[in-house]
Amino acid sequence: MVAAILLLIGLRIHYLVNVAEVRSYASFVGAFFSSLQLGSLYALIALGYTMVYGIIRLINFAHGEVFMVGAFVSYFLFSNTPYTVPGAILGAAFVSFGVMFLATLWRGHRLGHPLILAVGAVSLVAFTFVLSTASLGWIMAMILSMLTTGVVGVAIDRIAYRPLRGAPRLSLLITAIAVSIFLQNFGLLTFSQRQTPFRPETMWTDPFSFDVLGQAVFTTNLIILTPLLLVVLVTGLHLFVTRTRIGRAMRATSQDPETAEMMGVNVNRVIATVFFLGAMLAAAAGVLWGLNFGSLNQPAVFGLLPGIKAFSAAVIGGIGSLPGAVLGGLILGFLENFLTALFPRTPDFAGITEYKDTFAFIALILILLVKPSGLVGEDLSEKV
Amino acid sequence: MPDPKRNRNRLLTLAGLGVVVLLLYLIDNSGSSKLVQAFALFSIWGIAAVSLNLVNGVTGILSLGQHGFMLIGGYVTALLILPVQSRIRIIESGRSSMTEETLSISIANFFSAIGLESLAAPEYLWLQFIVALFIGGLAASFFGLLVGIPSLRLRGDYLAIVTLGFGEIIRLLAATSMFSPYTNGALGFAGVPAEFGKSVWWTTAILGITVFVMARLKYSSYGRALQGIREDEIAAAAMGVNLAYSKILAFVLTAFFAGVAGGLWVSWIGTARVDQFLFTLMFFLLVAVSVGGTGSITGVLMGTAIVVFIRQYGDPLEQTYALTDWLRAGGLIVLAGGFGAFIYRAARRLRPRLNAMVWVPLGLGTLAFAAALVAPGQGWLEGSFRGFGLRAILLSVLLVVIMVFRPEGVFGRSEFSWAAVFRERRDRPSDEERGQDAWLSNPDLADRLARQEKREGDE
Repeated sequence: MVAAILLLIGLRIHYLVNVAEVRSYASFVGAFFSSLQLGSLYALIALGYTMVYGIIRLINFAHGEVFMVGAFVSYFLFSNTPYTVPGAILGAAFVSFGVMFLATLWRGHRLGHPLILAVGAVSLVAFTFVLSTASLGWIMAMILSMLTTGVVGVAIDRIAYRPLRGAPRLSLLITAIAVSIFLQNFGLLTFSQRQTPFRPETMWTDPFSFDVLGQAVFTTNLIILTPLLLVVLVTGLHLFVTRTRIGRAMRATSQDPETAEMMGVNVNRVIATVFFLGAMLAAAAGVLWGLNFGSLNQPAVFGLLPGIKAFSAAVIGGIGSLPGAVLGGLILGFLENFLTALFPRTPDFAGITEYKDTFAFIALILILLVKPSGLVGEDLSEKV
Repeated sequence: MPDPKRNRNRLLTLAGLGVVVLLLYLIDNSGSSKLVQAFALFSIWGIAAVSLNLVNGVTGILSLGQHGFMLIGGYVTALLILPVQSRIRIIESGRSSMTEETLSISIANFFSAIGLESLAAPEYLWLQFIVALFIGGLAASFFGLLVGIPSLRLRGDYLAIVTLGFGEIIRLLAATSMFSPYTNGALGFAGVPAEFGKSVWWTTAILGITVFVMARLKYSSYGRALQGIREDEIAAAAMGVNLAYSKILAFVLTAFFAGVAGGLWVSWIGTARVDQFLFTLMFFLLVAVSVGGTGSITGVLMGTAIVVFIRQYGDPLEQTYALTDWLRAGGLIVLAGGFGAFIYRAARRLRPRLNAMVWVPLGLGTLAFAAALVAPGQGWLEGSFRGFGLRAILLSVLLVVIMVFRPEGVFGRSEFSWAAVFRERRDRPSDEERGQDAWLSNPDLADRLARQEKREGDE
């Protein structure tokens, strides 16, 4: 199957380059790398969907908006720092709460544990100092934005989803939609009401070109950074899920929440952790998205479409499965970018670029009708 | 057995209709175009929400594709009744992607073609509009059929996302070159006749028809089959309900009325453009259905009234005010939330009574309120802030609160009835019924009766 698809793609490329002579091999190499970048972004967002769905069977509709929050928070971190002191304290409070949460994951302490409180106090002072004096670079902004957005994810779970544990799943989905609309409009209210340029000073967005068969491929350094960050973050996530106590608790909860609870797993804590990690990855994706496209769309629409598409990616790969989310994200990236490169605009054909936003939905509907468990996932359908 | 209060109820219903007509007359002549628009919008969104209720509430399938159906109905209606002057303007603008051929599609031309020249005149625009609405509804219901097909294989949240996917596909495709000869791409149509969508009479009449059809349907054998599907799909199938037929019927009917609502919505705005049919519209309908009561037509109408009221009269929220005013108002709201949480926990006897959901809002609210009081003297927080998007925030908070505290909505599944107004209880049998039923009439068999008789004997 895979071989047949690759063969078809090869034949199509051969036709376009050597027979129709409308494209060069170099353009397909360029399309390959841009698809890989887009796919990595979808994969990072899709991981959040798949983890949440795997544990509480909720389509976290607000995840796309969490991604939006991550992008905007990092924007305000690298473009507006240093802050005045009250602003710095507020920002540092968010960040140090994230640090405290991260610290609880290490040995499973409670948030109120003296050690954790000490960590929080130290980081509050340190980050207040940093935010009120230094001008941050984009990497620091990304890390702090990941921590802040993680806190936002935990807060969403605590305020909106946790009171609904055990409620019908459709009520939970409606709540998630409400949270999504809330965050969209909260973004309009506080972040920005229009397109925002996203241009931190970094070498990663500098142009980068290389030759393929005598023809130049023009890209940016991001073709190295984006997949690299995907690999780093996914490896970190994999290690966390497989090597730590709370990771083991996560896997147990996703298999059977009730039994896991009976075995002493603090299920609410596991769910909060999942929201924290998912939001962190989404924030990283938001920063990379901004670097990739050079601007952030207005908050009401920025997260919606990438969010739903990443959910489709998670379903394509098999919802509930981490490798599935990465695979699905990459496939979706290639569907959107490489497929349009395979059917370019020619004088007698309008091309399929204008339809590319619908590919994710079509793929979603097809995969749900044909193989609801996704490409590598297990079957999560309801049983009698 | 005939209802003993039937005559009274009929009279009351007639009187109620009379009051509605009087009210509409007063609104129509009130001279306030904002009020007229609000009532027309209530009716239009009411049509969409009441029909969405058939799928979401009665059948228990969460459908998120209503905006797609409305788009189809809206575009079809707009194209079919667009006046000649507007068509000429589209051609002359030079930026349109419509051809002479697609622009000649209209009800008027259709009437001329079949020899009804007299009906093609602009005086008969109302008749053309009715026909166009009907065709728009039919076109939407065809897509309802398409969207209904996945419901045979999928359930619950997956199905919800697929319906959302269909709605978004429809919206995204409408602006592409495949359909732009009929939709004029992203530019859309301007100059759609507004006298129907902005008229309270037209919209209320169609809302009345919709409510009548939906209410009759709900208590018909089809409606009971749909409710059976909501309660337990497998049990319904075992009782002989044809799942495929029933679900698709629900989708098709819903899509038909959504298409009609879309036609009126286009007329209300006066233009047909893709960005009138965003997911936000679907969200408004979802709030209307969920807040009022999923499955209750009365509840859905109440929910629609809330949504429309906030949309039409909530604009003071989105004005620019001083930062300290915002802080004071926000602090008060958060404080009220904290007190509400405390009262809730006290009433439910939850321990600890002062948990984070109580003291965090109380603390934050006090802090904000105190800061707002101190700030003007200190010269802090100068400047102002525009509450952009606060109406949608209000609606989303309302939806979350409803979902947390009363997931079935304010009305639940109960409907308005005169019996409920007069607090008559249908579940208490009449003396005649008691005489017919051994369990109800024999105190030896019914504990409750025995107790009641004993009590009456004591007195």
